[in-house]
This record gives sequence, C-alpha cells and structure tokens, in this order.
Amino acid sequence: MSLLGAGLGSMLLAGILARVLERRSDLADRVYRWGMIAGCVVGATSAARLLATDVPAGRSTAAYGLDALSAWFVLIILGVGANIAGYGTGYLGRERPSRRVGSAHLLLAVLLIALVGVVTARTIVAFLAAWEVMAIAAWLLVIFDRDRAEVRQAGLVYLVLTHLSTIALFGMFAAWSGGAGSSSFADLTAAAAEHRVPVALILGLGLVGFGIKAGVVPGHIWLPGAHAAAPSHISALLSGVMLKVGIYGLLRMLSLLGTPPAWWGWTVLILGLVSAVLGVLWALAQHDLKRLLAYHSVENIGIILLGLGVGALGVSHHHPALALLGFTGALLHTLNHSLFKSLLFLGAGALIHAAGTREIDRLGGVARVVPRTAWAFFIGSIAIVGLPPLNGFVSEWVVFRALLDTGGTGGTLRVASVTAAGLALTGALALACFSKVHGVLFLGSPRSPVSGVYGGDNGLVAPQLVLAGFCIAIGLLPFLVIPAAARVAIGVMPDSVPLGLADALTGTATMVSLVALVLLVLVGIVWGLRAASVASRQVRAGTTWGCAYPAVTGRMQHTASSYAASLIGAFGPLSGTNRVDGPLTLEVHAVDPVFDSIGRPVWTWLRRTAVGLRRFQSSRIFWYLLYVITALVGLLLYLWRVAP
Amino acid sequence: MTNSIPVFPLLALVIVLGLAPMLPGIANRTKSLLTGRRGAPVLQLYWDLAKLWRKGVVYSRTTTLVFRLGPIVLLAATLVASTLLPLDGATALLGFPGDLVAFAGLLGLGRFLLVLAAMDTGSSFEGMGASREVTIAAFAEPALFLCFTVLVLATGQMELAGMFGVPLVTAWPLAAPSLVLAAIGLFIVTLAETCRVPVDDPLTHLELTMIHEVMVLDHSGPDLALILYAGAVKMALFGCLVIGVVAPRAHQPRALAVAELVLGLALIAVAVGVVESVMARLRMNRVPQLLVAASALAGFALILLLR
Repeated sequence: MSLLGAGLGSMLLAGILARVLERRSDLADRVYRWGMIAGCVVGATSAARLLATDVPAGRSTAAYGLDALSAWFVLIILGVGANIAGYGTGYLGRERPSRRVGSAHLLLAVLLIALVGVVTARTIVAFLAAWEVMAIAAWLLVIFDRDRAEVRQAGLVYLVLTHLSTIALFGMFAAWSGGAGSSSFADLTAAAAEHRVPVALILGLGLVGFGIKAGVVPGHIWLPGAHAAAPSHISALLSGVMLKVGIYGLLRMLSLLGTPPAWWGWTVLILGLVSAVLGVLWALAQHDLKRLLAYHSVENIGIILLGLGVGALGVSHHHPALALLGFTGALLHTLNHSLFKSLLFLGAGALIHAAGTREIDRLGGVARVVPRTAWAFFIGSIAIVGLPPLNGFVSEWVVFRALLDTGGTGGTLRVASVTAAGLALTGALALACFSKVHGVLFLGSPRSPVSGVYGGDNGLVAPQLVLAGFCIAIGLLPFLVIPAAARVAIGVMPDSVPLGLADALTGTATMVSLVALVLLVLVGIVWGLRAASVASRQVRAGTTWGCAYPAVTGRMQHTASSYAASLIGAFGPLSGTNRVDGPLTLEVHAVDPVFDSIGRPVWTWLRRTAVGLRRFQSSRIFWYLLYVITALVGLLLYLWRVAP
Repeated sequence: MTNSIPVFPLLALVIVLGLAPMLPGIANRTKSLLTGRRGAPVLQLYWDLAKLWRKGVVYSRTTTLVFRLGPIVLLAATLVASTLLPLDGATALLGFPGDLVAFAGLLGLGRFLLVLAAMDTGSSFEGMGASREVTIAAFAEPALFLCFTVLVLATGQMELAGMFGVPLVTAWPLAAPSLVLAAIGLFIVTLAETCRVPVDDPLTHLELTMIHEVMVLDHSGPDLALILYAGAVKMALFGCLVIGVVAPRAHQPRALAVAELVLGLALIAVAVGVVESVMARLRMNRVPQLLVAASALAGFALILLLR
C-alpha cells in the first residue's frame, strides 16, 4: 500500500511539474512522461505483487486499502495509464501554442489518482469523494477542445449522466448505511449479513449508478459523444479504464452484499445481452472512427455483464463452478478490453493526426503512411473481435463456457445457455465491423488526399506496441493470468469454492495456449511451403482487376457505408440509422435510438420545467423572505408533529 | 487424452484432409448428372490445385503484406479447426472444454484475414464480396451456436468430442426431435459457410453476383490454391458436424466409424449437389431470412429440450 502511495505521489508531482514548467515545454514533457510512467509502474507493481502472493484481505479501518479485487483494477488503471500518459505528451505536443497543455497533463494525473482512489476506498465517504473527483476531472478533460459546440454539448450530456449516476449511488449508500449505522465497508457487510438492509433497493440503485458509469444500454448515451469529443488518449482512458470502474462497483457491491437474489442476475444477464448486440450493431453504422470505437465499448461492457450475470446467477443458485467461470470471464474481459480498446483509441489518435480527419469514408490505404500503427491496429482488431490466438478470444472463451455451462445445471437456469447464440452474433457483427474499419482505413488506396503527415513518431507508436505486446502475450499464455483472475473471482463470491476448480480452468487454458501455438506453427509451415513454391516462379506486380475498366480511382472503392449497408438493412429500425432519400442523393445518418427517443425528450421536458420555475425567481426581496418564512413555518410544523 | 499415439484420430484427419478436394467434385458431378450433362471429373479440384501450385503469381500494386497473409492464415486456421473435431467419432486430437468456441473462432480468423485481403486490393467488387461474406457470416454464426447449444443441452457436454460422442448416442432416443431439427439447421449453415446454392453459386460468372468467388478475384497461383483447398476442407468439416449429429459413431469400432465418415461425407456432397440442381439461388436480401430460419429451427429444438 505504501508503495502504491509513493507511485501516486510521483504521478501527482509529475502532473504539477508539467503545469508549472509549462513555458519550458521540452523539459516539462520529459519530466511528466517519465514521472508518470515511473509512478504507474511502481503502483502497478505493488498491485501485481499482492495478486501474485495471495495475501488474505484483513479488516482494515483505514479509508483506503488494497485487496485482491482492488489490486486487479489498480493494475488495469495504472498499467494502461502509463501508456496513455506516455502517449499524451506526444499527442498534445502540437496543441501547445493554442492550449494549456500542462493543465490537461495535470488533470490526467488527478483522474488516474482518483480512479485508484475509487477502487481502493474502504468507506462510503472516501468512495464518493474519489468518485466525484473522477467525474469532474474526466469532464474537464472531455471538454479540452471546448471551442467547438459539439464538444461542449458532449460535455454537458456527460456531466448530466455522470451526476445521475452519482445520485443513484448516494441513494444506494444512504439506503445501505441507514441499516448499518456506519460508513465503513466492513460495517456494510456486517449489516447485510444480518439482513438489516433493503437488498432489492440497493441492488437496483447500484445497477443504475454503476451501469450508467459503465455505459450499459440505455445508460450509454453519454459515451459516444464524450469519446469523440475528448483528445484520443483521453478517449482511450475513458473507454479502457473509466468504464471499468462501473464494473468494479458492481463487483464490490456484490462482494459486500453477499448472495444476490436471482432476479438481479437475470437482469444483469439481459442487460449484457442487449448492450452487446445493440452496441456492436450501432457501431457498424458509424462513420466517425472514434464514435465507432465508443459503441464497441458498449458492446464489450455487454460481454463483461454477460459473465457477471452468470456469476451472480451462479452465486444465487449455489453453483460455485458456474459463478467462478462467470466472474473470471468478466474480470478477464475487463482486463483484455482495457488493453485492446486503449490500443485501438491510441491508434485512432495517431491516424487522426496523420490523416487530419475522423471520417472513415474519406480515408484509405493509410497503412502506407503509418505502417507501425496499422500493424498495431491490426492486432487490436483481431483481439477485439475475439479471435484466436489473441487475448480477446481467451476471455470470450471463458464467458462462452460460463453461458453454455448453465445448460448443465437443470432448472430455469438452463435457459441462460441460449444467450450464447447472442454472444456469437455479437462476435460475428464485430468481425464485420472491424473488417470494415481496418479494410477501409488502412488497406486499399486513398479515397481523398491525405492532409497531415504527423503521427508516425516513436512517442505515439511505442505505447501502442507495448499494449499490442500484452494482447499477444495474454493470448498465447493465458494460463499465466487466469489463476490471478480466478483468485479475485473467488474473493467476490460469498460461498466457499471447492478446491481445484480454478486449477481445472487454468489447466484447460493451457489447451487454448496449445491451439494458439499449433496455429502459429502451421502459419509458419504454410508460409514456408508457399514461399518455396513461389521462389522458383515468376512474381509480377500488376493492377487490381477492375473488369477491364481502365480508369479506376480511389473514390470508386467500396466505402465503409456501403460495406455495412447490407447488414444494417437486415436489422431494420434496430440498426440506428436514418435514411434520407433525395432525388439524386442518398444520405444515411447514424443516430442513437435511445438518445433520440428518451434522452432528448426528457432533456427538453426538464428544460421547459426549469424555465417554468423561473416565475418563482422574481428578484423581489419580499418574495424571497416569504419563501424563507414559509419554509421555517413548515419545518416547525413538521417538528411539532414528529416530536414525542 | 491418453499418452499413446492417437492412431484413429490421426488416420481420420489424414483421410479427411486428403479426400476433402473430392467433395466439391462430387457435388458438381451430381449437379451435372441431374441436369443432363456429363460435367467435370470428380477429381478436377486435385488437378486444379496441382496446376495452380506450379504457377506464377501476380500481385496488385495496391496490396500489402495482409494480402499475402490472407490465404496462409485461412488455411492454417482451417487446419487447426479440423484437429478439434472428433473425426473418428470419439476423440479429437486437441479437445478441451469449450473447444467449440475455438472451432468457430478459428474459422472466424480465416474469414477475417480473407476479407481483409479482399479489401487490400482496393477493388470495389472485392469490397462488395467481402461485405456480403461478413453479412452472411453474421447470420450463420448464431445459427451454428444455437445448434451447438442444442447438443450441449442434450448431452451435458462442453467438449466437441463429448457432444458428438457416447453421450449423444444415449441422448438420441430421448431427444430425437431436437436433434433432427439441429441437424437440419447445421445443414443449412453448411450450405452458407461453404458458399453453395441457395446462398451463393460457385459457378456464377458475373462479378456483380458473386459472393465468395469475387473476394478472391485477385488471388492467383499458389495463393488461390491455398484458398480453394481451405474451402474444400471447410466443406468437409461442416459435413463432419452434420454427420456427427445424424450418425454418432462413438459406440462403433474405430475403423468402421472412419469408413462411415467417408461414406457420410460423400452423401453430404451428393445432397449439396441435389440442392443445387433443384433450386435457384436466393436473392441476396433473402439469405438472412434463410439463416434466421435455421436459427429458428435450432430455437425450437432448444424449447423442446428445455420444456
């Protein structure tokens, strides 16, 4: 814990120095980059050590403390955070003349520290304080580019939603601590164990509060705008790390509360299924690279919730094996998504710098401009689609197993196995979406002239390569990570887990590893055979076959919109597109059905009501005094009634 | 897994990989006979592969390394997928709980790389083919997993070798209607995944109407050979799934089981040819409906099991 504190201190210092040394930009960047990386690495090491050595969590009375669940998330926050901070100095470097880059660097440090605070808090006050610092720091970073109206609007939507989440959490903790009589998490557990708390209310409010933060449909509406508006490394942090705090909250709530009722598990499972399918479907319709990646976060949060839902159902039905699979899958996918999604956002940032636009349909053949980013993005794409031999497959495999294993239990729980088909649909749609993104962006030939030439320097590429390395390592050697995830999962579960269950899971993970190795060896062999065959033959360069039409241009290539059209068409009104047929034109706009049908009307109603309330603000002192006196009299009457 | 060398799984794998190129030949021959032609020899694909393997290659100047990687990864992934199936009826070379996810994932990896290779050419035809391929796959995947879920529920097994093994033999008398529905669903998925009528027509000659063929327009020489061979192996693998449900062979002597598999694959190829002779290809926007129908069949099968 003290090591973690030292790391966080170093990060805060680096952030302050970046702000103070603003005028000496080279020095400030260097101090900030290495101070942040050192701080993150030191902090992450302390978390990793705790996970490796399996120290039992003691009952601590301090406001902040570290146990296995906290350590897992600290590892994610600081591991990804180091890469993002390192990338940030290079990414914001160009903005120096026009903006206060030092403030953004300081805010990033504060946000990371607040995130660590949230996952290590041990009392309600500590938790909510860190939560609010996190929410505000993230808001200030989202509106970094606040000259543009769309950024301000995205910031507003985020601010409203994040406070909705905070209010729900206030309600949850109020309901809980009313029964507990104290604010420390240890006392909350005790109160829950003695059935002194309204469990249904707590679980419902917790799901709302943490669900909005995690971006679960329909609470996801802040997510696409905020991710598109923020600078790319901040989008990576929001998507890769901050959403996961919502998952942490759900897991922490479960671990404190004990056995949840079955309806809660089913609710989480269904929310997960809906988020996964709709998230990827809406992603498919996007033209803006960063909005597209943001919707994929909704999808992946859905996959995590599928695991979490099965875990909760396993706990309620007393199937420890099922619960272990579900929670382990959720935790693993949380880690994996944080790796590949931040990788993809960092790649998107480098690409946007290189190309000067986020519009997928204006780009093409960018792999020739930023080859290393293209390969890193390629790795990230395979990982996010959940294909072997990378890390995304490993966690989806565990979640699939959890879903299908419900089929072996008997009773109503078996129905949950049907959701495996939903996860399969999600995977296939993700494949469609990322073949579109990677194919249209990086491959083929340019669709319009490329404007920028920046984005290929080492400061931007190195973090991507590090993250890609982690994706490959976890994909090839899953048995190194699964024991730790399983240990964290066991810590969340109230029932004791039979010995050997986690070891069995690790054992089968070696088979996944074997399959990945066989695949790589076979790729090598086929490559060698083909190379041997081609070596003695003629290899010619030609033009792409265009049905004998000679004047092919880059604009004639299949665009991202036409690529997705047939799939989107098949899903009809669910797909989140708005078709405008003109006499000579066809426009397809990506819209968010939830935002348009719920978010906007509710907001309009709120504003109208608020304007109506202005009548009471007459600016006459007489009326204000009357309000005060009325309130006083009302309170007196109330006290007179309730007084014994 | 036992420590001794798994003779029959290996033997079955070698036979399946060796005979796979014959399946498209049988299907095409059936079609030509039924439509009153003589048609190409059954062994035509072997000759094509041998010839392509000895040819030179032309690469478009637009392409990158991804284009060269596509066919290689496609074949390698398909081969690894074939080691997960219990081809001799009882044992898989690389079986483990949840290996059905790896089976679908490996085929997905091959598809992903092939689609990217098509996009790499910058041709709008190939982009169109890629788009159609992923659209069809998006509907075939849930149907495949629903069929797998039927098997999981009927047998209580999480491993392909178990799902198609002895537990399936004992499950048949209890869950026959479900298993029949799942087999039909799997056959429809087979038609879609192997690009046959009514989903795709391998013999079409117009770029605009092709799906799979148009994706590989720019591949030549050994690269095309790899793709064609991988396609044949994929057809064999899906054939093995259908046979595995219809005729589980775990209780039989291994040699007989392998012989039955070969016979079954030939019958599947004949069935594919018959389907191609009696019906036309569906309009592109009807294909998802066909696959949703396959999912619905599997869904009914699940309801029967869950009742």
